[in-house]
Amino acid sequence: MTATGIAVWLLAAAAGVALWRRDPAAVATGARFALGTLKGVLPVLLLALPMAGFLSVLVPERFAALLFGPESGLPGHLLATLVGAFIPGGPFVSFPIVLALWSSGAGAAQMVTLISAWSVLAVNRVIVWEAPLMGWRFVALRLATGFWLPLASGLIAEAILALLPPGSIGR
Amino acid sequence: MSPQRTAPPRNGGNRTSLAIVAALSAASGVACWAVEGSDGLAQAIAISWGLFLTILPVLGAALLLAGFMQAGVARETIARWLGAESGLRGLLIASVAGAATPGGPMAAFPLVLALAAGGADRGALIAYVAAWSLNGFQRILVWEIPILGPEFAALRFVASLPLPVIAGLLARRIAGSAR
Repeated sequence: MTATGIAVWLLAAAAGVALWRRDPAAVATGARFALGTLKGVLPVLLLALPMAGFLSVLVPERFAALLFGPESGLPGHLLATLVGAFIPGGPFVSFPIVLALWSSGAGAAQMVTLISAWSVLAVNRVIVWEAPLMGWRFVALRLATGFWLPLASGLIAEAILALLPPGSIGR
Repeated sequence: MSPQRTAPPRNGGNRTSLAIVAALSAASGVACWAVEGSDGLAQAIAISWGLFLTILPVLGAALLLAGFMQAGVARETIARWLGAESGLRGLLIASVAGAATPGGPMAAFPLVLALAAGGADRGALIAYVAAWSLNGFQRILVWEIPILGPEFAALRFVASLPLPVIAGLLARRIAGSAR
C-alpha cells in the first residue's frame, strides 16, 4: 500500500476511536454511511477509470502540453476555466479527465484552475440544481462574485509552485 | 419551499450519473480503438487497472473517514455555525462550514435555501457555497487524494483557501447596494 493509503487509514482509525469515545453508536452510523457510499460509488468508478485510461492514451502529449502546459501562461488558465466550466457530472467524471490531461503534459497549476472552474462555475449544476432551487437572482450574485475564483486559485497555485523545488508536484 | 422539491430521489441522480459516465467511457473507448487500434486499447486498460489498484485501498479508508466525520458533525451543527456570526468572523465560519458539508448539490443547496429563508447574511451564504464547491473535505478525501495524489490536493486546497472569504466580502458589497 502507498504512503497515502497508510496515512488515510491511520486518520480513519483515529477518527473512529475519537467518535467511539463520544458516541459508540455513531461509529456504526459512520461505517454504514461508508459502505452505502461505496456501493453507490463503485459502479461509477469502475466505468470512469477505463475512461481515464482511454483518455490518457488518446490525448496526445504535445496537445495537452501545448494547451494547458506549465508554460501556457494566462491563455492556458483561461482555456482551463472554459473547459472546466462545461465538464458535466460529479468528481467521478472530472478527476479522471484531469488525471488524463495531467499525465499527458498539462501543468499542475492549470489543472487547479480547471478543477476550480468545474466546481465553482459548473454550468451543468447551475441549470439542473442551483437555478431551480435557489433562483436566478442567487445564481447571478454567486457568479458575479465568483467568476474570477478559478483563475485566482490557478495563479496562486502557480505562485506556490514557483516557491517549491521543481518537480515536487508532478506526474 | 416544499421539502419535496429539495429532495429528489437519490437513485434517479445515481442512475443519471452512471449513464453519463457509461456513455463518456464507451465513446472514449471507441475513439481510442479507432485512433490507436487494439494496442492502444490494451495499453489504456492496463493504465486503468493500475489506477484501480492504487485508488481502491485509499478509497476504502477515505470513505470510512468521511463517514465518521459525517456522523460526528450533524447538519444542525453546521446550520448553527452559519447563522451565529456576522462580520469577517461570520465569513470565516461560513467557509469552514461549507468545506465541512459532505455530499453533492442535493445536500448543500437545501441547507443554503433554508438559511436564506431564515434571513441569513448573503455574504455568508456565498462564502459557504464557494467553500463547499472549492474545498469540500469529503470530495478531497474520497476523490481528489486517491485519484490525483495528496501533493496535488494540498496545492489546490491551499491555493483556494482564502477565496471564499473574498467572494463573501464582494457579495456583501453587491447585495448591500442592490437592496
